[in-house]
Amino acid sequence: MKRTLTTSAATLLAMIALGVGAAQAKTLVYCSEGSPENFTPALNTTGTTFDAARPVFNQLVEFERGTTTVVPGLAEKWDVSADGKTITFHLRKGVKWHSGINGFKPTRDFNADDVLFSFNRQWKEDHPYHKISGGKYDYFADMEMPTLLDSIEKKDDYTVVMKLKEANAPILANLAMDFGTIQSAEYAEMLQKAGKLEQFDQIPVGTGPFQFVAYQKDAVIRYKAFPGYWGEKAKLDDLVFAITPDPTARLAKLKKGECHVMIAPRPADLAEIKADANLNLMSAPGLNIAYWAFNLTKPPMDNKKVRQAFAAAIDKAAILKEVYQGAGQSAKNLIPPTIWSWNDKVEDYKYDPEAAKKLIAESGVATPIKIDLWWMPVQRPYNPNAKRIAEMMQADLAKIGVTAELKSYEWGEYRKRMQAGEHITGQLGWTGDNGDPDNFFFLIGCNAEGKPAGQNLSKWCNKDFNDKLAKARTLSDLKERTKLYEEMQAIAREDVPQFTIAHSVVFEPTRKEVVGWKISPFGRHEFHGVDLK
Amino acid sequence: MFRYFLRRAALTLPTFVALMFVTFVAIRMVPGDPVEVRTGERGISPERLAQFRHELGLDQPIWKQFVDYVWGILHGDFGTSLVTNEKVLTEFATLFPATIELSLAAMLFAVVIGVPAGTIAAVKRGSPFDHTVMGASVIGFSMPIFWWGLLLIMLVSERWGLTPVSGRLDLIKYYFEPTTGFLLIDSLMSGQDGAFLSALHHLVLPTIVLGTIPLAVIARITRSSMLEVLNEDYVRTARAKGLSPMRVIGLHALRNALIPVITSIGLQIGTLLAGAVLTETIFSWPGVGKWLIEGIGRRDYPALQGGIMLISSIVIFVNLGVDVLYGAINPRLRHGH
Repeated sequence: MKRTLTTSAATLLAMIALGVGAAQAKTLVYCSEGSPENFTPALNTTGTTFDAARPVFNQLVEFERGTTTVVPGLAEKWDVSADGKTITFHLRKGVKWHSGINGFKPTRDFNADDVLFSFNRQWKEDHPYHKISGGKYDYFADMEMPTLLDSIEKKDDYTVVMKLKEANAPILANLAMDFGTIQSAEYAEMLQKAGKLEQFDQIPVGTGPFQFVAYQKDAVIRYKAFPGYWGEKAKLDDLVFAITPDPTARLAKLKKGECHVMIAPRPADLAEIKADANLNLMSAPGLNIAYWAFNLTKPPMDNKKVRQAFAAAIDKAAILKEVYQGAGQSAKNLIPPTIWSWNDKVEDYKYDPEAAKKLIAESGVATPIKIDLWWMPVQRPYNPNAKRIAEMMQADLAKIGVTAELKSYEWGEYRKRMQAGEHITGQLGWTGDNGDPDNFFFLIGCNAEGKPAGQNLSKWCNKDFNDKLAKARTLSDLKERTKLYEEMQAIAREDVPQFTIAHSVVFEPTRKEVVGWKISPFGRHEFHGVDLK
Repeated sequence: MFRYFLRRAALTLPTFVALMFVTFVAIRMVPGDPVEVRTGERGISPERLAQFRHELGLDQPIWKQFVDYVWGILHGDFGTSLVTNEKVLTEFATLFPATIELSLAAMLFAVVIGVPAGTIAAVKRGSPFDHTVMGASVIGFSMPIFWWGLLLIMLVSERWGLTPVSGRLDLIKYYFEPTTGFLLIDSLMSGQDGAFLSALHHLVLPTIVLGTIPLAVIARITRSSMLEVLNEDYVRTARAKGLSPMRVIGLHALRNALIPVITSIGLQIGTLLAGAVLTETIFSWPGVGKWLIEGIGRRDYPALQGGIMLISSIVIFVNLGVDVLYGAINPRLRHGH
């Protein structure tokens, strides 16, 4: 009898525990925009895919959530040699891999082999995984890792030495980007033995705060908290991505409580969101810039006075008001104010058509001036309506006697032709990758031979500017770098290779019960540290 | 009969060839290629562009690409998606059940409401009910699907809270691995209490949106066909024999009036699948429609070519089936008239 009682009591307790557990299970639903291409960040370029992989993984160094500050991740600490060419990473011990996913049972903790695997896959063409899943490592290439890296070696299980061909201060910020994600070499090996290499990118095994549960294309991605996580454990029990491509449907779901956080609200819906008592609307300046490039290889843009006249002729405030409608801030430098070294002392050109006319007269350029003005055919995070901006600029330019012909091409064609320098003036912009000023200033930089790089749409090669840009790359002292970047901003202001238009403001609505949500300057959506009340 | 079938089947061959050609060419006429659309502001260096185009076979002469594509299809290989690297056929098979589930539900909705509405309108010709049905069907037929879907979401889901906004299931309460891909069946098989009702509940709005146009068409066809039949001699005879109006209409008239209605259902498979593209996008319905839309944006040539071929084949086969069925019912067709 006693035994029965004990058993019943135990069963009851277990039931209560289960019942309570079930009632308290915290599930956060995030209304995302689309399906990920796969779960290996190095293979991809879209935010949608990065967001889907991020709960599962870590990098050697990481961006502190909601900031651009680089903090230790899987590397506990690192030393940089005096010449800046050798970085030694000391890896964190006792980091567990997710277990039981796709039949994988890790036999060891995270170590140097995983670091080598993750980078060599992208770097070495003979790596068994190099060609898998399309094998395009865009970010690895774009951040110039193949030309920068000399070697990556394992000194012991918990020490990795990375040697560079030249000192490069931004590299730590680069490694915190998603392509620097560390994946399991042991899992890769298991799948290789089974001849199922492509599963490696579809069923992810990581060290992150959440482990992968299931993915149904175009419908849902599920994760659950990883109890063995090395850092602070996730506050949520389950994380669900409800894939909802239409922004109106996303907002309706948020309002009804079918999801807790949504991506990319329509600007027209912002007022409604603000007014809703159940929702929070957070905003932060975006890590981006919209600019209007002047092609210095074509007259009259080779004339500095003309460029300065154009800068004074455009009513920037009107553009911000009409096109950005409150979701943008005026840009006076190439980098946004959220990035360190932003120079507040730089004075923006004032809107002054009369002064502009005078500058044109002083320039000696024959009037009437005829130019083209390109606008990109797509909406970008930094520019909601390039065509409208072009029309407003056209009207402003007409006031100082300049005729601007509006032009556009298909998006791919547009970038290609601009990079080839076919335009006289044209709009484009940039979204920062890693929060380092270099990641913006390289846009108007030139190579050692004084030739503009592909991104340099102004085809502007200013020796003083470029020397400082190159020097800043080799310095690890933040103060010295800041000084150089501040000077560079003053040079760009004076020489006007481009007219900086705006930095957009990012809006993110969440439900009131979401606690600890942080807007990322990179436009990331990160759920570690987020809770539901 | 068999010869009739062969003749009809042979006639679909040129359709297939034309279809393969048109899908292949049309997609390539859209500016931008799959490698370029991946890149952002940074663009792509000419060397990398050339390398990737080469790896994807896009640098081959266009006729060679077409021959390879046709050869693949003849061997049951619809290619591999450039975006996900999954076999197009696998992706299609994963997503298609959701589209079928929605299309069947929409057709059922259209028939169950459209046939009685059309019948009553015909019987009570000229009455206020008739005018209402005909007026509503004109509106229904000309309703822009996207607008209609968003309107219903805002009113029915958001304002009145009667249905979920989008998706196929309450994601917080239920979770099971799909087995058939038909969520109504899977939810029953899962044994989770309330899962089936949740799936059904999620189906309501998309069904109404996708079913609106077929509903309008079916109501109109039923009405006009019914009006014709009601004037036939045999109906008059049935009435003269003193049969009850219900019996006359239900048994004698409706059965004959339904023949053109059934034809129109067959023909509307195409309309349904076209409507599904928009409906799925609005309601986050993970079917082939949404998949194709994304394929266009990403210039995923194999997914688009394969997807359109597969959908078109289904439409062609359904129509072939209807044709053959007709032949079986109506010998005049079989003998080449």
